[in-house]
Amino acid sequence: MRGWRSVLAPLGAIGIALVALGLLLLLLGADPLRALGALMGGAFGDRNALENTLLRMCPLLLVGLGVALAFRCGVWNIGGEGQLYLGALAASALATRVLPDAPALLLLPLVVLGGALAGALWGGIAAALRVGRGVSEVLSTILLNFVALLLVAYAVHGPLQEASGAYPQSDLFPLAAQLGLLPGTGRVHSGLVLALLLPAALWFGLFRTAAGLRLRAVGLAPEAARYAGIRPERELVRVLLISGGLAGLAGALEVSGVTGRLFENLSSGYGFTAIAVALLARLHPLGVLPAAAFFAALSTGSGAMQRVAAVPAVTVQLLEALVILISASFALPRRTD
Amino acid sequence: MTQVALRNVYKRFAATEALRGANLELEPAEIHALLGENGAGKSTLVRVLYGLVEPDRGEVRIDDEPVSITSPHHALALGIGLVHQHFMGVPALSVAENLMLGQHGSLARRHAAACELLERYQLGLDPDRPAGELAVAEQQRLEIVRALGRDVKLLILDEPTAVLAPSEVELLLAWLSGLREEGRTVLLISHKLTEVSSLCDRVTVLRHGLNVITREVAGLDAAQLGRFMLGEAPPPPGQPPQTQPGQVALRLEAVRAQGLSGIELELRSGEILALGGIDGNGQGPLEQVLAGVRTLHSGSIELLCPPLALLSGERERTGLVLELAIEENLALPQAAHRHGFLSPRALRGSALDMLQRFGIRARPELPARVLSGGNQQKLCVARALCGGPGVLVAVNPTRGLDVAGTALVREEIRSLTASGCAVLLISTDLDEVLELGNRIAVFFRGALLPLDPAHHDRAEIGRLMLGEGAA
Ligand SMILES: Nc1ncnc2c1ncn2[C@@H]1O[C@H](COP(=O)(O)OP(=O)(O)OP(=O)(O)O)[C@@H](O)[C@H]1O
Ligand SMILES: [Mg+2]
Repeated sequence: MRGWRSVLAPLGAIGIALVALGLLLLLLGADPLRALGALMGGAFGDRNALENTLLRMCPLLLVGLGVALAFRCGVWNIGGEGQLYLGALAASALATRVLPDAPALLLLPLVVLGGALAGALWGGIAAALRVGRGVSEVLSTILLNFVALLLVAYAVHGPLQEASGAYPQSDLFPLAAQLGLLPGTGRVHSGLVLALLLPAALWFGLFRTAAGLRLRAVGLAPEAARYAGIRPERELVRVLLISGGLAGLAGALEVSGVTGRLFENLSSGYGFTAIAVALLARLHPLGVLPAAAFFAALSTGSGAMQRVAAVPAVTVQLLEALVILISASFALPRRTD
Repeated sequence: MTQVALRNVYKRFAATEALRGANLELEPAEIHALLGENGAGKSTLVRVLYGLVEPDRGEVRIDDEPVSITSPHHALALGIGLVHQHFMGVPALSVAENLMLGQHGSLARRHAAACELLERYQLGLDPDRPAGELAVAEQQRLEIVRALGRDVKLLILDEPTAVLAPSEVELLLAWLSGLREEGRTVLLISHKLTEVSSLCDRVTVLRHGLNVITREVAGLDAAQLGRFMLGEAPPPPGQPPQTQPGQVALRLEAVRAQGLSGIELELRSGEILALGGIDGNGQGPLEQVLAGVRTLHSGSIELLCPPLALLSGERERTGLVLELAIEENLALPQAAHRHGFLSPRALRGSALDMLQRFGIRARPELPARVLSGGNQQKLCVARALCGGPGVLVAVNPTRGLDVAGTALVREEIRSLTASGCAVLLISTDLDEVLELGNRIAVFFRGALLPLDPAHHDRAEIGRLMLGEGAA
């Protein structure tokens, strides 16, 4: 039952924000129903729109889950973007340089896993800095974002650049390294299935295992957890590895399932939007599902809204901000469920 | 001169009826005791008076005017002050800043006023020390003086003496008599019945959210008060367990750390070593050293009979994760050293057993935060005792417990000892030290003064606590 509430709570915040936005649009002289209708149409209206939304939801879901776990443990991982890029980088290196000729049965799992491991490594650096040197993870994860972006830039201008040398991008992944499509869809890769299973898996991990209990205890009261025999540093390292790994996985799925190659600006800020996703979900793994769907729909629908209802696309950003504010003001003091 | 009355107050929290038509009448210039078992509703009742809890039904009258107190700010404006069961100040701020919290005036003026308060009440605290570094008893004194400095007409104290040593209690009781002479009213919640019978004018007893009696204290002794509370005679004080000490279970050699100047002790299986003393003389540092959160400067700690269970002296900060469910709090020590699945059913089952054994009436899925102070304490005790420890370090294990709960917990500690556990008791409660300790030592300025076994009596311990007879 609690699980249901965690899915419904974000929906409530979304509803209130939509009403607020409608009123605002009215003030601006636009027709709110038409605008919101266009937004919905752009996000879910036809098959193409729906597939677009699902594709965008996938990284938001994965990174958002990682952020939610980390925040629950009191670890402020702001580095989802960098971890995602590192995952994409590692996957691309494996697919186009290290093992381009391996068979799919071997290469595909390696690419996906390699991406996750690289993301975990990037999170692990922040963990090591925090545990070893007392560097705040807020700082280190933000800064590691820049490092990761620069690494990708270096790679696509240098060692990973496509053979023709025409553009700053990697070679196209060999087919053996590309994720298959879901049957009946035009573009949706099969990694989405994995992403959709993860919220339930992580819910189980968080609320039904000893490790999950430790993680929550550390996030709520690190001193009390320590006195009970838990080592908060260990939990911090673990959660940063998992959180980074999920973001890295998102990066690997993106290159191997959507773009087929690595280039700069691959992500369009998924790593940052994912923080909003986690907050809207009230840091609950099951809540991340509707929250990620919502933010994905906003980004795919905003173009249509602008075209059809002549409403500036920035109002979508306004809506995003409203949703976060509303959900935060309802949600943050209570983190028991 | 104020008369305060609570009439027919009801308060229900979800499934718990905390108050079921409680009444309380306070006369001007009296010291009124509010007694009751753990969970009887005492804290809830005074929180109504302080504007922290909104009653479902019933009214508050001040000088015969009905008022509805909406916030602590409002309560203070009406001349009502409250000292909480635990420290509510800001740990990062200094003693002086905490004293003047929420008061107006320039920095310098506030600092001067704070120093004057410290002086007036002989608090013996450095005004510039961060409050978070103080011992629990020192924080409690700070909290009391903060309320005294507010010039209130009614001062409510929720278990102010739970961790104070006898000399500190005397000082506090003298302050309270002083307030009465000034015409102020004091409402005192306490489980220490001797204090109540020696100081208070009238008493109200709550049972399950209802007042069962209000009467003059004169002529009642502690045992009779206990009978009003329990409906039966309180259990007689116990004796230290009679067991044969076995092998050495915990050995501390020349342990030096900040706040500890050379602690030397050997604890054997099947015995209770009780460490008394005034809080702030090394109790906190020793607890932290044993918990592994304070660095040793020199010396060694040898744990020969693991596991070590630590019953922390600060249940709100280091004892419980208040936002986790009761059953999850109970499972934390196992979860710390285990992997894998936690079956909700097993969790619930073992939690229900422990709650029953320690007489905690609460649903295990509720967060620990909603438990009454005494029940939170019992929860900490249950967890520490039930893990099958080889060594138990218990810091003020009966802090805030009612008469029956205190007897129960002491008995549990005795039977744990009899089954071969080594118990290191650190307690500011003299009776507890005498009732439990096979051997006794006293903290003084970061060191331990051993007590001659031939002189296990209050007077001798009292002398050691003040550093007399150290030679
Ligand atoms: N916020 C809350 N939510 C749910 N239940 C609560 C809440 N606050 C108090 N209770 C319940 O109300 C009852 C009375 O609690 P209260 O704290 O008033 O007891 P008390 O008399 O002060 O006990 P103690 O001596 O242990 O401090 C308890 O059963 C407690 O669990
Ligand atoms: Mg209480």
